[in-house]
Amino acid sequence: MDRRKFLGVGLAAFAAIVAPVAELNAIDFRATKPKAWEAEKSAEAIKELYGTGGLKKSGITMTAPKLAENGGSIPINIKSDLDFESIAVFQDANPRSLTAVFTIPKNAIIDYDFRIKMRQTAFVTIVGKTRAGVLHMTTKEIDVSIGGCGG
Amino acid sequence: MGKMKIKAKLKGDIVKVKAMFTSLMADSEEAEKKKIKVEYITQIVATVNGNVVYEVSTSGFMSENPLVKFKFKGAKKGDKLIFTVTDNHGKIQTGKKKIK
Repeated sequence: MDRRKFLGVGLAAFAAIVAPVAELNAIDFRATKPKAWEAEKSAEAIKELYGTGGLKKSGITMTAPKLAENGGSIPINIKSDLDFESIAVFQDANPRSLTAVFTIPKNAIIDYDFRIKMRQTAFVTIVGKTRAGVLHMTTKEIDVSIGGCGG
Repeated sequence: MGKMKIKAKLKGDIVKVKAMFTSLMADSEEAEKKKIKVEYITQIVATVNGNVVYEVSTSGFMSENPLVKFKFKGAKKGDKLIFTVTDNHGKIQTGKKKIK
């Protein structure tokens, strides 16, 4: 059984326990956009995931340390008031660029905290796609003194 | 995958969630270096009353034992928050927590 089906079955079982009728919009970006996960550079990965549309440099606020002492765990916060459909996190520090893709439910509060690994000093890029199809982005360079990923 | 720690607290009409998952988050290069198996979480989904409130597809470049925080509206005290985590081997794990 492939992963997508397997997940669907699992989710359906839980949904059945919690509520009789449930609409689940789970999208497995690994299944739908496999190429994006293999891209080495952010620019390539963005192209694979979102196409070649223009990127607006506004709309998303990223909070991250300027200097990370431990590259194995860099806290990042994303905030936005726009109506995004998905937000993706890219970095240029690791063998592959795409780190995470958030699928955003309708009327969700966009305020996500998470941690990433970075092997070296590099740019972290956040790209979001609104429900209207407009792409927004923000980028920040993070200095890493000790590399993550066991490097 | 090991255990999950979940905290969910209602404040006003917003539920604040903090969740930690146990995973090495080792991508192929890292696994080779440390001589361990490739193991990382590929997807985290949280639902309340059958509605998805949080969903993220991840790669091995999230940090070890990923900690995520998020907020959402539209739930009340006592509702169950259910996390479904999938790893790269297709293993599925779930965790439940009542909203306080």
